[in-house]
Amino acid sequence: MELLDRYLQAVRKHLPWQRQDDIIAELRANLEAQLEEKEEALGRPLTPAEAEEWIKSLGSPVQMAAHYQPQQYLIGPAIYPVYMYILRLSSMWAIVIYVLVSTITLVLSSTANGQAVAEAAFRLPWVLIQVAAWVTAVFAAIEYVALRHPEKCPPPVAAFYAKWSPRDLPPLERPAEQGKKRRTYAHAVAEIIFGFIFLGWLLVISRHPFLVFGPGAAILHASPFRPAPVLWTCYWLLVGLNAFELAWKCINLLRGTWQTPDRYRHIVMKFLGLVPVVFMVTVPNHVYVLLRHPEADAARYGPTLDSINQGAHMVVLLMCTIVTLQLVWEVGKMVVESARGQAIAK
Amino acid sequence: MTLPESTFENLRLELRRGCLTLAVLAQLRREHYGYTLRKDLADHGLVIDESTLYPLLRRLEAQGLLSSEWREEDKRNKRFYKLSADGEALLGQLLQEWQTINAAITSIL
Repeated sequence: MELLDRYLQAVRKHLPWQRQDDIIAELRANLEAQLEEKEEALGRPLTPAEAEEWIKSLGSPVQMAAHYQPQQYLIGPAIYPVYMYILRLSSMWAIVIYVLVSTITLVLSSTANGQAVAEAAFRLPWVLIQVAAWVTAVFAAIEYVALRHPEKCPPPVAAFYAKWSPRDLPPLERPAEQGKKRRTYAHAVAEIIFGFIFLGWLLVISRHPFLVFGPGAAILHASPFRPAPVLWTCYWLLVGLNAFELAWKCINLLRGTWQTPDRYRHIVMKFLGLVPVVFMVTVPNHVYVLLRHPEADAARYGPTLDSINQGAHMVVLLMCTIVTLQLVWEVGKMVVESARGQAIAK
Repeated sequence: MTLPESTFENLRLELRRGCLTLAVLAQLRREHYGYTLRKDLADHGLVIDESTLYPLLRRLEAQGLLSSEWREEDKRNKRFYKLSADGEALLGQLLQEWQTINAAITSIL
């Protein structure tokens, strides 16, 4: 029957080439026997419409051939949980290493400016995509080999799961404090998104001050005063602090620990927050602002400059006191809670 | 709320999958080629698509549970399958498992 020959020819095109002849010969023998029996029962050959209906009932050539192929996944269910774990772990380390390397490179580079930092920040998503692509490619290769040579490739997950111990389970998450809402995943993601937006804004304002001062930026530009180099050092310290906290939050999210109360992070960030403030307090002679043209303007604007610097010093001193008190309060609260927890446990 | 039809269909296929393998192995205690095996199973009330049964025979043979040979019958070359020694041992184990499950389900019902 011509229609059957055409069907088998179409099936052959989708079969693995090494087994094409064998499979098609067997399929032909089975289908011809079936056809013979049908025609014998009818006492006549099948009409073209009947033949078409019968061939259609066998399923499309692609479907028929697909059943002869091993069931192939890009990453199968057996190794998928390990894949997700490794993907999260490698993304986390990629963020840590990238932030560290970029920071060191920028600090050592003599041409580092806001644009270079912004470029480094916006390159991070591409780095993560590349890491994910490599991890996926490696796991797809493992899946491919494990399917075709199971004897050479024992189930890779078995060894992974064998190392598991109940002792390694994380402690129970604390319930939300009374009157406070439980931290949700959406909350953690939103914090990171807004963190990136804020960091981007922070990086851009060094080149575009109008994003902070609005139209006042033009007045500042025309004024006889300019920021002292120490302000730029402080600015980069703030950028570094924000990048560090953002990386910490990303790691928490990727490790799945975004829900646990993160008091340590809070205290560490408060402590690190003291660094730029203390740096500003200890600036020699409290010079935060300079004159653009000291020779020409010293006589006219000298007293104003001194007032500005003294005022700035007072503000910085006040900030330093507030941050220190907050830090002491947080540490004290943690110590008291820890002591209370130990007392309850006893 | 009524469940979508696909839910039943998916669960039905899942339930059938293991049973079909057991039926094929049991039926191949006697030698068959693809088409007669399909007919025999259908006569017992187990209808299997061609696209499911014929590739299944290949897979079971690749696993060493069946042996096969090409032979001429009614002026046509056909591939005959039969349960191998390993297949026979495995069938015994599977039948035991099947009976345990069957007894458990019956007692639950």
